[in-house]
Amino acid sequence: MQATILNDVKAPYCPGCGHTVANRNMSKALAELGVDPLDVIAVSDIGCTGLVDPLLNCHTIHGLHGRAAVLAMGICMGLEKPGKKVIALQGDGGATIGLQHLLEAARHNLDMTLVVQNNMVYGMTGGQVSGLSSTNFKKPTMPEDAVPSYDICALAHSAGAAFSARAFIGGDSIDLWKEALSTPGFCLLEVVEMCPAYGMKKVKDLHDVSDYGVEISRNERTPNILNREVGPSLLESFKTIDKTCDAPLDTRMEVIIAGSAGEAIQSAGDLLATAAITAGLSSTKKGDYPITIGTGFSVAEVILSRESIHYTGIETPDVMIIISLDGLNKVKDRIGPHTLIIADSKLGIEDHPNLVSMDFRKMGGARGAALAAMASWLKDSGLLPLDALIEAASRHKHGDKMVAIIDKATGVETTTVTN
Amino acid sequence: MAESDRNMVFLDGSRLIIEAMARAGAGAYIGYPITPVNWLFDGAKSRIPVTLEAPDEITALQWSAGFSATGTFPVTASAFPGFALMIESLNMSFMMELPMVVILAQRLGPSTGSATTGAQGDLLLLRGCISGGYPLPVLCPSNMMDCWNMAAAAVKTAINLRTPVILLTSKEMIMTNQNMDISGLPEVPLVKRELYDRKDLYKPYSVNGNMVPDFLPAGNENHQVRFNASTHDATGATQKNSVEALGNTARLKNKMEDRLEEYTFYDHDDGDGETVILTYGISAEAARDAIRSIRSSGEKVSLLVMKTMLPVPPRIFDILDRYQNILIVEENLSGLLRELLFGQQKNDRIHRINKIGNMITPGEIIEGVEQCKQPY
Repeated sequence: MQATILNDVKAPYCPGCGHTVANRNMSKALAELGVDPLDVIAVSDIGCTGLVDPLLNCHTIHGLHGRAAVLAMGICMGLEKPGKKVIALQGDGGATIGLQHLLEAARHNLDMTLVVQNNMVYGMTGGQVSGLSSTNFKKPTMPEDAVPSYDICALAHSAGAAFSARAFIGGDSIDLWKEALSTPGFCLLEVVEMCPAYGMKKVKDLHDVSDYGVEISRNERTPNILNREVGPSLLESFKTIDKTCDAPLDTRMEVIIAGSAGEAIQSAGDLLATAAITAGLSSTKKGDYPITIGTGFSVAEVILSRESIHYTGIETPDVMIIISLDGLNKVKDRIGPHTLIIADSKLGIEDHPNLVSMDFRKMGGARGAALAAMASWLKDSGLLPLDALIEAASRHKHGDKMVAIIDKATGVETTTVTN
Repeated sequence: MAESDRNMVFLDGSRLIIEAMARAGAGAYIGYPITPVNWLFDGAKSRIPVTLEAPDEITALQWSAGFSATGTFPVTASAFPGFALMIESLNMSFMMELPMVVILAQRLGPSTGSATTGAQGDLLLLRGCISGGYPLPVLCPSNMMDCWNMAAAAVKTAINLRTPVILLTSKEMIMTNQNMDISGLPEVPLVKRELYDRKDLYKPYSVNGNMVPDFLPAGNENHQVRFNASTHDATGATQKNSVEALGNTARLKNKMEDRLEEYTFYDHDDGDGETVILTYGISAEAARDAIRSIRSSGEKVSLLVMKTMLPVPPRIFDILDRYQNILIVEENLSGLLRELLFGQQKNDRIHRINKIGNMITPGEIIEGVEQCKQPY
């Protein structure tokens, strides 16, 4: 005879507790379905339902209050072998705490069963009501709390549960249990019980207490199955940058490029940094922009150095390339007396001793102004060979356009190279 | 190294961390997209076999626990606001002894603070986040090479000690691009789990000589497995406060401390002299520049960069005892490392550099070293 999921350990519940009956029903249903206990992983919540672990012959995981459904989702996704049965068990308190998890589990439609044993109270902490306590249940002692209970079966159904149903302790619910434990996808079974310690003392019929009747709902959905695919090494996704030329730079050079969102400021920073590597230097680059990355300023900080770079911050930059008012407003407090400013002429910066002001927007357009300004500066300063910048640009997906901007800004004719 | 053997690329710490963890055995990455861990998620998506976006950080940790309990090594990442939500589930995973790595990228707080500003403000949170003060291993990369090495070490430590491990980093470390010769990266071997393979009764929390229980995944066909977040005995059954169960709980502390040598990492650059700069994480790079500058002017100074932050390796104190002055450099106002190592009591040997909003600069450290020489 096949072992049942329930062992012979004495159940720890109060006399008359519905949990005892619910556990027997679950065990009977699994036995009738022919499920091997070691193919079952039971995930239990906190509260009286969470006392179930020692009674079970299957794998058990006893977690946190309200988290049984979400932990069971993790178990489902982690199981690589098919044919396992994941059952999460929680009370009405746990279902209230973890309501979002319950809805997520239904939406994801993983192959699992969530049993909510609704005895209307938090039984371990003194009988407080939960979100699943019905108005009829609350009326005798808490008439002021007329808030209706959640219909979790309806909620689970609307979130996409393959099967959801409400069963009442006392009736024959074995078929509901079997369907809840065998339907592929997410199944929710709410079992309405009455806590003998804190429930109403005289209940003739549980159906009179519940706000809702028996409900059986189904969604025709295929269970969600996880794909596992090992990706290629991330190191292979970075292109090797060979040193192809030399740069005369022999100190640390700190550059800030400032503009607006959408003006390819970060790309310009990347180009400068990779051009420096092409010329045998070390470089770093970091971006700064508002959380709403589609608007406001965009700032790139680039450091070039003959030596290896440790500290990657910039206090007072050697060079600032500024092409928009957003950018100027963001970085103007960092301009030092010796900072070289390369600015778009429309910004109207005039009172700085070390200023190059040109119509870079005309040369490169809004998305190429920073690159035009950078190319112009490199040509005048000779700090990096223009070939290094062109080589870096040619690696970019918009390489042809970038090289054309560099040509225009420097007045040098080069051959356009594209990837 | 010959020029032709080099492989110079321009990359970021996030990708190094993910690649090293993938090689060490990470099989799932579960993320909630909080700044500044965005690039970790991007890297994981194209590398780790399963990458999932969780609806919130409680879910991220619970899913991680599910993967771990069934034998897949999970990684997740967050910043303080999300990490705060993870703490209950982190305690659960600690108690269940589920290996995983949580990457905590520090950003300026309190609360949501500034999402895109770096910080070093979460060290003491980690020291106390397991109820009872139980030690949670915390490793902290101090540069790009460490992003690789500490990420691999975090996975290895988590598996070998059956525990969650925190990789403590910051926005500046994982969202800055740098050139790096990746031909010099050491190999990261796959960390193999030793599974229980005997026929006699499996007790999920029974230990052999190494303080760590043998692992078997939930769902295996040979032995019943129990994981339990409540106080439990060797079988995994809940017990209130039996001698066996309390012994099992005490073991969670002892295993971390007894095997600390296996995951003790630091850089000690002994330059003689009376002053040692003590730092970690992103501030270490400024300290390295400061050391270079100070020594070029003929002054003597030493540097100690901690990489195993928690539990504090005893060797850290042995090293610090050799110096008259200890200058502790960290990007927060409260002096978290100072308090972790030396408490709050006044101590004339200890000097601090603290700041928020921007990285501490080499210049500020040089000035701090200078001030250590002043008479009290």
